[in-house]
Amino acid sequence: MKRILISMALAAGVMTYAGGFRVSLQGVKQLAMAHTSAHAEDASVAFFNPAGISFIPSKLSVVAGGFGVSNQITYQNTSTLQQTETDNPLGTPIYAAVAYKVLDNLSLGFSFSTPFGSTIEWPSDWEGKEIVQKLELKSYFFQPMISVKLAPWASFGASYIYAKGKVDWTKALTIYNGQLNLLDDSATGHGFGFGFYFQPDEKWDVSVAYRSPVDMKAKKGKATFMVPTSLLPNFNGGSDNFKATLPLVDEYTLGITYKITPKWLVSADYNYHGWERYSKLTLDFDNVAAGNQPNDPTILVSPKNFKNTSSFRLGTQYAFNDRIFGRLGWYYDETPYEDKDFIPETPSFDNYVITGGVGFKFNKFGVDLSGAYAMPKSRTFSNQNIKFAGQAKADVFYFGLGLSYNAF
Amino acid sequence: MKKIYISTLAATLLLAVSCKTDFENSTEDVAVTSGEANFSKYISLGNSLTAGYRDGALYADGQNESYPSMIAKQMQSAGGGEFKQPLMPDNNGGLLLTLPTGNVQIADTKRVITGFSAGTPTIAFANDNKAATITNTVLTGPFNNMGVPGAKVSHLLAPGYGNVQGILAKTANPYFVRFASSPTTSVIQDFLAQKPTFFSLWIGNNDALLYALAGADDTVETLTPADQFGTYYNLLVSQIKTSGAKGVIANIPNVTTIPSLTTVPYNPLTATLLGKGDVNVGNATIDQLNSSLYGPLNQILTALGAGDRIKPLSKTATNPLLIFDESLPNLGNAITTAALASGNPQLMALAPYLGATYGRARQAKSTDLIPLTTSGSIGTAATLPPGIPASLGARGVAYPFEDKYILTSTEATAIDTAINSYNVIIKKAADDNGYAFVDANAKMVELNSASGIQWDGVRYSAKFVTGGSFSLDGVHLTGRGYAIIANEFLKAINTKYKSNLSMISPNSYSGVTFP
Repeated sequence: MKRILISMALAAGVMTYAGGFRVSLQGVKQLAMAHTSAHAEDASVAFFNPAGISFIPSKLSVVAGGFGVSNQITYQNTSTLQQTETDNPLGTPIYAAVAYKVLDNLSLGFSFSTPFGSTIEWPSDWEGKEIVQKLELKSYFFQPMISVKLAPWASFGASYIYAKGKVDWTKALTIYNGQLNLLDDSATGHGFGFGFYFQPDEKWDVSVAYRSPVDMKAKKGKATFMVPTSLLPNFNGGSDNFKATLPLVDEYTLGITYKITPKWLVSADYNYHGWERYSKLTLDFDNVAAGNQPNDPTILVSPKNFKNTSSFRLGTQYAFNDRIFGRLGWYYDETPYEDKDFIPETPSFDNYVITGGVGFKFNKFGVDLSGAYAMPKSRTFSNQNIKFAGQAKADVFYFGLGLSYNAF
Repeated sequence: MKKIYISTLAATLLLAVSCKTDFENSTEDVAVTSGEANFSKYISLGNSLTAGYRDGALYADGQNESYPSMIAKQMQSAGGGEFKQPLMPDNNGGLLLTLPTGNVQIADTKRVITGFSAGTPTIAFANDNKAATITNTVLTGPFNNMGVPGAKVSHLLAPGYGNVQGILAKTANPYFVRFASSPTTSVIQDFLAQKPTFFSLWIGNNDALLYALAGADDTVETLTPADQFGTYYNLLVSQIKTSGAKGVIANIPNVTTIPSLTTVPYNPLTATLLGKGDVNVGNATIDQLNSSLYGPLNQILTALGAGDRIKPLSKTATNPLLIFDESLPNLGNAITTAALASGNPQLMALAPYLGATYGRARQAKSTDLIPLTTSGSIGTAATLPPGIPASLGARGVAYPFEDKYILTSTEATAIDTAINSYNVIIKKAADDNGYAFVDANAKMVELNSASGIQWDGVRYSAKFVTGGSFSLDGVHLTGRGYAIIANEFLKAINTKYKSNLSMISPNSYSGVTFP
């Protein structure tokens, strides 16, 4: 298990899919049911709501899983008639969680997840090369948590979030026939989460959760200016440090599961994301005047104008028998920005996704498979801030493999 | 149970497929058409801007990125034919003229950046300014790009403009010599002989530009009077009209906003510059100039009520260049008289010289324009009459820059006025004859604005070297700059003739080359 987990972590590279650079892939079982949250069968509930771990039937539960995300963005410029496709690598977000009931009414848990990320790779000579050639964003959330049963049917849980992240952004400096790379792999941030989980009777599960924003602060990022030799003196010798803060936004979740029969359940979720915090990206270089602020030319401010978004999720699970489960779902995830703010470094679309999967149980050991097909709505945009206009569409497909072990 | 299950699935799929994921129209399926125009034989007429001249020379790579060749490429998907250019054989440019006495170089090779010192580019001639192209070698035409560097409007009409015998007398143009069909032909004659179906015309720049770059010195270049410009321009357009070709014509950019005239500040004199890097030497020079020249002149001029013409130099601030302004009232006699009466033996000895030299001298103001080519002449020695201390001969510092070095604000305004008149004539010619019209001037104004022109995230401005749109001569564009102009032509053609030629991405062409 540990070996699998580590090798998956090494291979991790996460992929944008709607909602800015938020990745909604934290449970294979959950994804199969549209990534709904009110499921307290095993430790995979930990990421969704720390209070949920109080309702895991077994004393110790361990889960781990990973996804493959195949994603291709196509851009077309209706005035030059050029068409460009991304050459994105397969994204592989992963998660793992463990929950342990210390006392009947006190549970501890830990969740590891990759809730935000994006890897976008355009051909290096494409039309938007000045904005992005390649951008890799990664985040790792380490979340210890505690949950207390307030009553046999209600619990409260809270978690602390320690986040580590990486940004690796390469773009062209067309005027200088060069490139700029911004790299920081030691950005860190802190946050918290808390929630309530209710099982008023055996038919209902209700999950209410909040996850705080996390400001990923790059304090000593490295900017490498790859420019012709004669220009190096103008770029501090070719390398500089920069400071930047990337906001990972907060999320409110309300989830409900209703068991129509003991074998058949339906779930619904509503999420609200605070993307408004990402109104602009500020890069503060130490020395190089690569900015755009008249009073301080080392500061580059790029408007992003994200707005808050909602997503709606509907999922269902049917138990064919004690061993085999079938799952289906549908969800709608909103893009956090308008057409006039479209940015090719984190291309985003209004996204409809259908999901499905199967689960198998062998005694205490569970194996789940899921797949999802996204139908991002193509968009016609014109970003006046960067004078970049055209149309974009995306093809996205996900699959996941999850393992769960519910000991004693 | 199963029924509910199936209907849930059906509802899910219905919701899922109800959105539009694909492009409404793929650009791969767009059919490009010529509309009411016929692009099968496109010929461009113009000057250096049309030829693809840049970095102070005509060379092959620049020609391949000329705006007409970019336009022709776009026309090819709408019935456009081959676009042949009189390509230079190399990428250094420059011209040699073979005379009975041997080869004479008549055009310099292109400019290149060899490095930077204190953020300012060091610019030199490529290949040590050894040109290899022989002007006398006439290429086999005809050619679609008939842009002739240096041509004014009247030149396109002039027979013999391609006669090698007329080059030194300046009745012929070496670039036209290279591709004229005969020594007696004219540009317009060779144009008409090709029976073009479509043309572009961007001419008139040199009727004002050459004069501006010569500091508005009439003895070097002349400004074409507006009425004369109108006569030639209308004659040219009426000749073009006989071809029956449809076409597009562009107006003239306001030449006083090009980097060649806006890069060098009016006040570059500092202690560092005057001391050639040594501040102490510079400060001593300033003290010396103030006590022997600027101070006395300031005193005399102040007494004459013209004290703002020349003020003492500052050691801490940047000081303006000393220039000659022929529009000023000549205070020469008064200066001589005052110097003689000063009681200062040094001044008294120099009195006639001071009057003759500084009678219409003043320090430059922010509205005066200093051509890029003048920067190398700051401090160079002017020829002085016998007996005058050599230190007084330093141009722009102690000796007023002669007319040809500086475009004073009065001269610049006169040039702007002339160009505005030219542009009225050009616009009328386009409208009267039903040709598409490109407001190139407006595009240059936009390029010259604080925000510049942005294209796919790249910000272009008229700033020298780092603006990305002007080449190293500060007058002609880079491939990217030409592409911005090419798009204006394409837009104008599409609007007028209902074609749908696609735009081009300026960012994919070449800009300034850095070593």
